[in-house]
Amino acid sequence: MPIIEVSRLVKEFGAGRAPLRALDEVSFAVDKGRFVTLVGPSGCGKSTLLQILAGLTAPTRGEARIEGERVCGPMPGKVGMVFQDPTLLPWKTAFANVEFPLDLRGDDRPARRKRCAALLELVGLAEFADHYPHELSGGMRQRVAIARGLAQDPKLILMDEPFAALDEQTRTRMGHDLLDIWAATGKTVFFITHSLSEAIYLSDAVLVMSPRPGRIIDTIAIDFPRPRELDIIGSAAFGAIRNRIWHLISEAR
Amino acid sequence: MRRRALVKSLTVAAAIAAAWEAVVRSGLVSRIILAAPSDIVQAAASDGGVFLRAFATTLAEIGAAIVIAWTLGIVTGLIVGSSRRLAAATAPVLSSIFAVPLIVLYPLLMAWLGIGSLSKVAFGAFSGFFPIVLNTIDGVRAIEPRYLALARSIGATRLQTHARIVFPLALPAMVSGLRVGTGLVVIGVLVTEMLASLGGVGFLISYHRTLFDTGHVYFGMLLALLLAVAVNIGLTRLDRRIGRWQRREQAQE
Repeated sequence: MPIIEVSRLVKEFGAGRAPLRALDEVSFAVDKGRFVTLVGPSGCGKSTLLQILAGLTAPTRGEARIEGERVCGPMPGKVGMVFQDPTLLPWKTAFANVEFPLDLRGDDRPARRKRCAALLELVGLAEFADHYPHELSGGMRQRVAIARGLAQDPKLILMDEPFAALDEQTRTRMGHDLLDIWAATGKTVFFITHSLSEAIYLSDAVLVMSPRPGRIIDTIAIDFPRPRELDIIGSAAFGAIRNRIWHLISEAR
Repeated sequence: MRRRALVKSLTVAAAIAAAWEAVVRSGLVSRIILAAPSDIVQAAASDGGVFLRAFATTLAEIGAAIVIAWTLGIVTGLIVGSSRRLAAATAPVLSSIFAVPLIVLYPLLMAWLGIGSLSKVAFGAFSGFFPIVLNTIDGVRAIEPRYLALARSIGATRLQTHARIVFPLALPAMVSGLRVGTGLVVIGVLVTEMLASLGGVGFLISYHRTLFDTGHVYFGMLLALLLAVAVNIGLTRLDRRIGRWQRREQAQE
């Protein structure tokens, strides 16, 4: 059963005679529990699409549904967000940052403390609970942001190029650990990136988007068995998929 | 070490006072222009009670004016700063008013509110309000949109967003407004007391000036100085506390 259903989504910026079309009749669906990635060149509208799914921006036409419910605003209990920048509150510790959404929601203290401790454990930061963001590395901060995104126990996690600002090694490691977190929690992940390797390594399916105006030009199933090891990135099958996606994007230009 | 420094500075102060006393006694300078330290002590001894009551009056006026200026400045700044349009429409007006020497408006306030404490509090609060509101608006406008996207995605209400995210993020900018504004409150209250009033330290200074009681005038000035220094110490403490995490953030970048 699909958790995300997007049908004929159009987004235009600027009114008047020549509005800028960012998304052009985008339709797709994502099944529950899957890890699906959207790839495309910079400026193709993938972030806009994510913003619409998150309920932060309204589409010009068409609709997006999450668990059958039409998106017209943020759904904090259903959808967790992880942004490109961790966006942690600098005056709060790692623990307090993860706890923040639950605190706002009014959960009682013992329950939310227990949950946050478990989440920090899950992302491998149990020992850093009392550290402030400025005392953590870029990768650690993004781990805190992932834990915060999971705090309200949403069924769907939207991730907007979460590892783009990290160095290559940290990025690869984070992707690997994200798969463990995904396997442990059973969430649906909808992930955005412009790195083809990252997309293929992480996903069950890759949605390929054209340059602006963004359209979904193909959906490619990735069948590497799980759990995946990092060696698959060097395999011939991996390279073939990479080439295929690369050609799809280049031809659409 | 600290104690020795204290003894040293006390010795220097005593030497200066002695030299000062000697100069005045020798008749080199008129006592109307320069009162001797002994005249100040005498003023304190003879009219200490009157000055103490005046000090209490001024303190209460300044306290009330600070509370009003801070509250109105911060709340207005948060509201105006939250809307780009409202800020664009309001900030230029506020800063032009701030550029006017507000004291020229004091006769109006006196006509409306009388010669008593009320007009002093009103003027003090009025002159302290502008830097506070302007800095708060700037602080709120400077908040990066990603924090607001975070607030919405975790389901923060409007009030929660302002109290838990916007306010703390704008705080460092606000503090510089509070410093300037509070200084202006102190000046505003003392100056209007000197212009026309029935009580307070400023009133005693200008009253004794007309009587050529220079010793009393100096004692009043000493009290005013004491007030200003105390307020400044309080503000420096506040600044240090609030600036702590911000400085850590900057140190890291």
